[in-house]
Amino acid sequence: MTNVKFKNLLINFGFGTKAEKIQLLKANPDKEIYMDLTCYDPGEFYFQYPQLKGSFAALFCDAEKKVEVHLRERSEDFFKKMKELGFRPVETSIISCGFIFPRTIVQIINEAHFALEEEVASKKDIDRAMKYGVNYPKGPFEWSKGRELYVLTLLQELFNKTQDKRYLSSRLILP
Amino acid sequence: MNLQRIVVIGAGTMGSGIAQWFAQQMCYVELVDNSEAQLKKALTDIHASWDKLVEKEKLTSCQVIQMKKLLETKSLRKVSKDSDLVIEAIIENLEIKRSLFQELDQYFSSKTILASNTSSFPIGLIAEAVSVERKKRFIGLHFFNPATIMKLVEIIKATETEASLCDALYEWFDSKEKKPALSKDSPGFIVNRVARNFYGEPLRIAERDDEERMKEIDRVLKEVGGFKMGPFELMDLIGIDINYSVTCSVWEAYKKEPRFAPHKLQKQMVDEKRFGRKTNRGFYKYD
Repeated sequence: MTNVKFKNLLINFGFGTKAEKIQLLKANPDKEIYMDLTCYDPGEFYFQYPQLKGSFAALFCDAEKKVEVHLRERSEDFFKKMKELGFRPVETSIISCGFIFPRTIVQIINEAHFALEEEVASKKDIDRAMKYGVNYPKGPFEWSKGRELYVLTLLQELFNKTQDKRYLSSRLILP
Repeated sequence: MNLQRIVVIGAGTMGSGIAQWFAQQMCYVELVDNSEAQLKKALTDIHASWDKLVEKEKLTSCQVIQMKKLLETKSLRKVSKDSDLVIEAIIENLEIKRSLFQELDQYFSSKTILASNTSSFPIGLIAEAVSVERKKRFIGLHFFNPATIMKLVEIIKATETEASLCDALYEWFDSKEKKPALSKDSPGFIVNRVARNFYGEPLRIAERDDEERMKEIDRVLKEVGGFKMGPFELMDLIGIDINYSVTCSVWEAYKKEPRFAPHKLQKQMVDEKRFGRKTNRGFYKYD
C-alpha cells in the first residue's frame, strides 16, 4: 500500500488485506481518508469508520488511469488531488462490493479461466474471441495478467458476503 | 488449403452476411434458401451494400462487378456438388439441421467440408446425422453478426473432426483478415460462454428494476472499462428475450452451474414482454 498525505487528507493506494486497511483507518481517526477498496465492500467500511470519506477502485486501471470513485459527500479537493496524481476519476453513487467495473471484470476473467481449465480454447484464442467477437477492449487474460491476487481476493470477498457459488474461483487463477 | 467454391445455406441475416464476406474474398459463392423471396431480398441487400461501399471508396467498382459475378442464388439441387465448403446458417432447430445435413452428406463430394454456423447446438450432436467418413470433415464455423464486419470466426472441433482440417481453416481465415479462434465443442463455445457474466454480474449489481442504476452501470463500464456499449443497453439491443434464452440454454447445458444462472430481472422483463428496443421498452424506455 502507498499513502499520499496532504494537509488533512490521506489517500491510500494499492492492494492491502482488509486488516491492513482497517489498521490504517484506526491509526488516522482525525484525517479525511480516501482509500482504494477495489477488492472489498466500501459500505462495510463506511459503516464503521466515519473518517473514510470516499473510496475508489484503481487496481484494474489501465494506462488511461480512469478510476471508479464513490464519495460519501462531494469533495472537489479529493478530485483535484486525484487529477494531480494523474488519475481520471469517474464518479458512481452505487455502493457495491468490488465496485462496478472490477466486479464485472473478475467474473469474466474467472469464466475465461474455467474455460481454459476445461481446455475449451487456448489463452490466446479466448482473448482473441472476446476482442473480435464482442468488441471487448482487452481479452480476459490480458486484463488479469499481474492482477491475479486482486481477482482472487475480490472473488473470495464476494463469496464470503453472498455464499453464492457463482463466485468460486477457477483453480487456474494463481496469485 | 484453398477455398474457392462455397455454398451458404440460409439467406437470413447471418447466411447472407457470410455469403457476402466470402464473395468479398473472391470466392465463388452459391447462396441457397427454400424461399425465393428471401433469396431475392438477400441478393438485393448485398448488392446495395457493395454499391454503398463503392460510394464510400472502400471498394472499387471493378471489385464489385467481380463480386456480383461471383455470388449466385440457387436452389439446393442446383449447386456444385464438388464445392470446397458448405456452411449451414438456417433456423436454430436441431431436427431441421440434422435432416438437412443428412441430405447434404449424400449430395456433396466426399472432399467437401460441411460446417454449421450454429450458436446453440453441440457440433457433435448435429454431426450424428452424417456418415462416419464425413464426420472427419464436419466442423463448426461460428460467425458473428454482421459477418462482413465482425472479425471473429470460432472454429469448433467436434470429437471426430480432423485436427489438420481445423488447423488448415484457422490458417486460411487468418490469411483473409478474419480472427479465427479454435474452440472445443462445449456449450456456448468461447464467446457465448465467457460473455455471460458481462450481463449476469451487472444485473446482480443493479439488483432491481431501476433505470437510473442501470444507466449508471452502463456509463461506468463504458467510461472505466472501455466497453463500447453497456450491458443494459446491449441487452435491449440484442433483445432481452433472446439474451435470456441464451443464458438459460448455457445454464441448462452446464447442469445449472450457479455461474450461469439467469437473474430474476431477466425473467421478469420477458414475462412483462419488455424485450428491449424492439418493443420500445426493456431496461430503458424508447419512444
